[in-house]
Amino acid sequence: MVIMANGVEPSRKRWTYLDNFLNKPGPTTDPNWVPGEVTINGLETSKVLVIGAGGLGCEILKNLALSGFKDIHEADTIDVSNLNRQFLFREADVGKSKAECAAAFVEKRVKGVKITPYNGKIQDKDEDYYLQFQMIVCGLDSIEARRWINATLVGMVDMENPESLKPLIDGGTEGFKGQARVILPSMSSCIECQLDLHAPRAAVPLCTLATIPRQPAHCIEWAHIIAWEEHRKGEVLDTDDPEHITWLYQKASARAQEFNIPGVTYSMTQGVVKNIIPAIASTNAIIAASCCNEAFKIATGCNPWLNNYIQYSGDEGIFTYTFEMEQKEDCPVCGNLARNLTVDPNMTLQDFIDSLGDRAEAQLKKPTLRSEEKSLYSQFPASLREQTAPNLSKKLSELVVNGEEIAVSDPAFAISFKYKLIFSS
Amino acid sequence: MLKIWSMKQQQQRDANAEGAAGTKKKKVTAAQLRVQKDLAELEGTLGKTMRTSFPDPNDILNFTLTIEPDEGMYKGGTFHFNFAINQNFPHDPPKVKCTQKIYHPNIDLEGNVCLNILREDWKPVLNLNAVIVGLQFLFLEPNASDPLNKEAAEDLRSNREGFKRNVRTSMGGGSVKGEHYERVIGR
Amino acid sequence: MVERTTTPPPLQGPTAKEKKYDRQLRLWAASGQQALEDSKVLLLNSGPGVVGVEALKNLLLPGVGNFTIVDEAEVSEKDLGVNFFLEEESLGNSRAEETCKYLQELNPEVTGNAIKKSTEAFVEIPSILDHYTLIILIGPTKDSNVLEKISRYAQDHSIPLFYVHSVGFYSHFSVQLPDQFPVVDTHPDPATTQDLRLLNPWPELLIFMREKVGNLIFQSDHEHGHVPWLLLLLHYLNVWKATRRDGKPPKDYAEKKEFIAQVAEGARTNNPEGGEENFDEAKANVLKSLNPPSISNGLREVFDSEDCQNPTKDSANFWIIANAIHKFHTKNKGLLPLPGTLPDMKAQSSDYIKLQNIYKAKARSDIAEITSTIRQTEETLNRNPPIEEKEIEAFCKGAQYVKLIRGRPLRIAKSTEPIDWTDRAQALSQELETSKMLGQESLLPIYFAFLALDRHHDELSLLHQSRTNDPHPIKSLIPGARDISGATLPLPNFVESAHFYTPAVDVDKDPKPWPRFDTPEAQVTFENVVKEIERADGAELHNISALTGGMVAQEVIKVLTKQYVPVDNTCVFDGVASRAGVFNI
Repeated sequence: MVIMANGVEPSRKRWTYLDNFLNKPGPTTDPNWVPGEVTINGLETSKVLVIGAGGLGCEILKNLALSGFKDIHEADTIDVSNLNRQFLFREADVGKSKAECAAAFVEKRVKGVKITPYNGKIQDKDEDYYLQFQMIVCGLDSIEARRWINATLVGMVDMENPESLKPLIDGGTEGFKGQARVILPSMSSCIECQLDLHAPRAAVPLCTLATIPRQPAHCIEWAHIIAWEEHRKGEVLDTDDPEHITWLYQKASARAQEFNIPGVTYSMTQGVVKNIIPAIASTNAIIAASCCNEAFKIATGCNPWLNNYIQYSGDEGIFTYTFEMEQKEDCPVCGNLARNLTVDPNMTLQDFIDSLGDRAEAQLKKPTLRSEEKSLYSQFPASLREQTAPNLSKKLSELVVNGEEIAVSDPAFAISFKYKLIFSS
Repeated sequence: MLKIWSMKQQQQRDANAEGAAGTKKKKVTAAQLRVQKDLAELEGTLGKTMRTSFPDPNDILNFTLTIEPDEGMYKGGTFHFNFAINQNFPHDPPKVKCTQKIYHPNIDLEGNVCLNILREDWKPVLNLNAVIVGLQFLFLEPNASDPLNKEAAEDLRSNREGFKRNVRTSMGGGSVKGEHYERVIGR
Repeated sequence: MVERTTTPPPLQGPTAKEKKYDRQLRLWAASGQQALEDSKVLLLNSGPGVVGVEALKNLLLPGVGNFTIVDEAEVSEKDLGVNFFLEEESLGNSRAEETCKYLQELNPEVTGNAIKKSTEAFVEIPSILDHYTLIILIGPTKDSNVLEKISRYAQDHSIPLFYVHSVGFYSHFSVQLPDQFPVVDTHPDPATTQDLRLLNPWPELLIFMREKVGNLIFQSDHEHGHVPWLLLLLHYLNVWKATRRDGKPPKDYAEKKEFIAQVAEGARTNNPEGGEENFDEAKANVLKSLNPPSISNGLREVFDSEDCQNPTKDSANFWIIANAIHKFHTKNKGLLPLPGTLPDMKAQSSDYIKLQNIYKAKARSDIAEITSTIRQTEETLNRNPPIEEKEIEAFCKGAQYVKLIRGRPLRIAKSTEPIDWTDRAQALSQELETSKMLGQESLLPIYFAFLALDRHHDELSLLHQSRTNDPHPIKSLIPGARDISGATLPLPNFVESAHFYTPAVDVDKDPKPWPRFDTPEAQVTFENVVKEIERADGAELHNISALTGGMVAQEVIKVLTKQYVPVDNTCVFDGVASRAGVFNI
C-alpha cells in the first residue's frame, strides 16, 4: 500500500470501479492469475516511465494515474526546438518546465500518485536508470528517440535477471490516424524490425528546387535549403524563431512570384520547414488510452494484452487493424543479442581476433570490431585500417572495460555479432 | 509481469546463456553497426580513384571521401566530400557536401550535390557504396538537364567543348564567368 | 508579367488563435474551425459518467463553442478514481457542475453550462433539445421510453445524436444522423484523386499539347526530357488512335500494356541515365489516367435519388447543386466538372504553370456552366437566397467523392417487444460469416450485449415502477450486482435478454443457411461477453472511456464540420482484443 506524504492512506474506496477488475477474473483472464491484493500491490509498486510530454504524453500521464499506477516517471525528449518552447513556457509559468507542470497537475487531480519529472535527453541515462522501471510507455514523434530506447531495452535483456525485460509500449499519431504497439524486447518484433513502417519524408530533387520549381513547397524548400545557406551562412536556422520563418517565407514568396507560382503562405512555410504533422486531441486520446490499456493489462494480468500492433484510421469511418508483427531474423537490434564472452584482459586484440576465427558461430575471415566509443580494428577502408592497426598489439584491458559490449562485423555475414566481454580474474 | 518472464524463459529454453552479467556499458548503436558494415563492403569500390579519411578514427559517422577521377573531363582533379551520418541512419540518408567550390552542373557553389539517392530516392536498403558510386558517376557524366549550377549546365548544353575548357580553367583555380573556383589539381 | 519591384506581401504573422489551433487547421481549415466554434454540444450524462466527459475534453480542446452537461449525480469517492475532471473538493457537489468547471479550464474560449438533472427530467422540458447542435447521450438510459423520445426528437429536428456505452473493457456507440447527411469535403486520399480528362481533352489543352509536342523528334535533349507526361500521353494517344481501325484509345489491360510499350519507345536513352524521367512518369500513369469517365458509388446513389432528380423549393442546397451536376453529367456524356488540380510532374516551371492554368480555367468554365443551371433552377423554384458560389465550387471540386449518409434511427431495446431487424438480419448474419472467414471473432455480440443491458434496465425500471411501495426497492440496475437481499441478478436472464435482441433469419423465407446467432458456438461467445460485462459491475475503466471518448470526439468533429466521412453507424470497441468493429445497424 502506498502511504501518502501526510501519512494518511488514501481510501481504497475511490478505486471501487478499478477493483472490480483486480478482485475477480473475467472469462479471458489467464487461469493462473491471482486476483486481489497480490495484483493490486503489483500495480501500485510498478514504476512506469513515460517518454514524451507532448499531447500524447499528457494523456498517457492522466490515464496511467487513473489506471491505479502510483509511481510514474516522465521524461521529455529534448531537441533544440523543444527546449525553446520550454523557454517560452517558462516566461509564462515562472521557471517551471512543461514536464514539471504536467506532473504537478496530475498529482493534484489524482491523489496518491507520485509523478517524477526528468528534464533531459533520454540518451543521457544509462541502463541502471532504465532498470528501475517495470515498463516504458512512449508517446514520441521522433523516430530517432524511439530507435534509441528500443535498442537500449533490447540490449538490457539478460537471461540471468528477470527484471531486465522491460515491455515497451509505443504510440504515435498523425491527423485522424495512429498506431499503438506492444514490444517485449528480444521476444517480439521490435521498433527496428518495423522501421520500414515509418515512411521516409517525401523529398523533391535539389535540382528541381534550384532550377524548375513548380509548387509553392518547392519555393519554400529552396529558401530553406539553398537561400538560407547562401545568405545567412553559419547561422543556425531555428524553426521556432518567427524572424527566421518570416525570412524564409519572404524569400519563398519572392521566388514564387518570379516563377508565377501561386499559394505560398506563412502557415505553409512553417509546415514545410518544420515538417509539421497535423495533430488533434481526439486521436491523441485514442492512441494514448490504447497504450495505457495495454500497460494496465500487462501490469495486472487481468486480461490478455495486445499481440502486438493496432492501427487506427478515422479518415473514412472507423477502421482498426490488429495483428502480430513478425520479428525479423536479421534485425540489427533484436536479431542478434549480445553473448557473454569471458576473455583474459591481458590478451592482445590480435590474439582475441584470432580466437574469434575458432568460434563456431563466427568463423570470421576479415572481422571489423568496435565498441560504442572506439573503432577497435577496421579491416576496411584502408585509411581506417592504418589508423586502428596500432590497437592490435594492445591488451584488451587497454581498449575496453570489463563488461563492455563490442560489435563484430564481417563481409561474409549479413548481420553483426555482439559480445559482452567479461574479464576473467 | 511475471508471466512475461516465464514466457521468455520458455522461449530461451534451448538457447544456452553463458557467463555472468557485468557492468552495463554503452552499446554500439544501430547506426554505427550499419555504417561499420557498409564501410566493410566498400573494399571493391574505392580502388585507385577514391579514398576515405577519418579525422577521428573512433567516429566512423563522420569522414571525408576523396575522388580523383582517372578519366573524363574532371580527370586529374582531387575532390573532397564531407560525409555526415546521424544516429537515424539508415532511415535518414547521409548528408554529403563537396568541401571545395567547384564548377560542376550538379554541384552548387555551396557544395550541395544533386544526386537522387541522397534525397528523394534514398531508401534504408541503399548503402554508402551506392552513394559513393553515384558521386563518382557525377564526374564521369555531368548531367545538364536538371542542374544546381545553372551556368555550368547551360555551358554543357550549348557548347560541350567550351564547357570542357571551363572545367579545366576552374580546376586550375581560375575564374569562369566572373566566378572564382578553387584549385583542385595537385602541383 | 509580375512586377519585380513588388515585395512579397507584408507579413501578417499568424493570429494567436491560428497559432493555438495550427495543428488542427491543417486538417479541417478555417471553415471547419468555424463550424466547431458555432456548435453547441449537449451531454446527457449517467452511470459513472466518464466517457462523455472525456469526449467533451477532446471537443473543447479544439474549440467547440459551447457545451452543456446534464447529470443528476453528486460526486462520490469512487468518481475520483476514474474521472479526471474532479477534485477532492468536489465530493458531494453536483457532478455536472464540477466536471463543467474543470473542463472549462482547458479552453477559456469555450462556454460551458451545467444542469443538475436526470436525463429523464431534462427532456421533460418542451423543445429543450432544440437548443443544441448535437447530442451525446450516455447509456444505459433508465427507461426505453426516454431513449425513444430523444431519438425521435433528434430525428424530427435533424439533430445528430450519439448513443454511447462504456462498461469495463467494452464500449459501443451508435450515431443517429439526420435522414440525409451529405458530405462534400470528404478529404479523399490525394493519390486516388485524379481526373485529368485525358480521354476527353478540350481545345486549349490540345493546342498546348501541339505547341509542346508537335516537333518532338527535333527537340533538344533538354526540351525533350521536360515535356510534361500528360502532354506526352495526349500525343501518343493521337498516334495510337490514328493507327487503329476503330480510332479508339487503348481500352483493356492488354492494349494499355501495348500502349505503354509505344510510349517507352519514344524515350531517349542515349544519356547517362539511360532514359527520361518524364517518359517514366508517362508510362506509370497510363493505367491510372486512361480510364473512361465513371462515377463513384457514393455519387451514383446521390444522382439516383428522388431529391436530386426533382428538387423542390425547400430542398437543401446540396440537392440543388447535385441536380445541376447531374444535368452536366448527362449533357457531357458522363463527365463530371473538372476538379482543376494538377499533380506535380517533371516539367519546366513555365510549362507547368501554363498547364495548371489551362486546368484551372477549364474547371472555372465548368463551374460557370453548373452555376447557370443552378440559377435557372432557383428561378424556376422561386428559391431565395441564391446558393453561394463557394459552396458550388466546393461541390464541383469534390463531386466524385461526395458521400451521402442516410441516417437510421437507433435500435431501442424495450423489455416489452423484440427489435424488428427485418432488413438488417441478413447483413448482420453475413457479418458473422465474414468475420469467420477473416479468422476473427465478430464483435457484434458485444453490441447485442449492450442492447441486452439496456433491456435489463428497462425491465428493472418497469418492475421498480410497479412496486413503488415495495419495502425492498431495487438497489442496483447492473446485472451481476447484488440486490438488497444479497442475491446476484442472475446471468441466464441476461443471456436470454441478449438473445431476445439478436436477429433471427426466417428459415422458411430464406433457405440460405446464414450463420446464426443461436448456435452453441455463438452462445459461448455471448456468455463470455456477458461475463466480462458482469465482472465490470457497471464500472467504467478510465482507459476504455478515454479511448471511446476519443473515437466519439473524432466522429462528432466529422459530423459538425461536415468533413471527412463519419462512421455509419455503429462502432464497438473491445479492449481485451484491442480492436474495433463497425456495423451498419
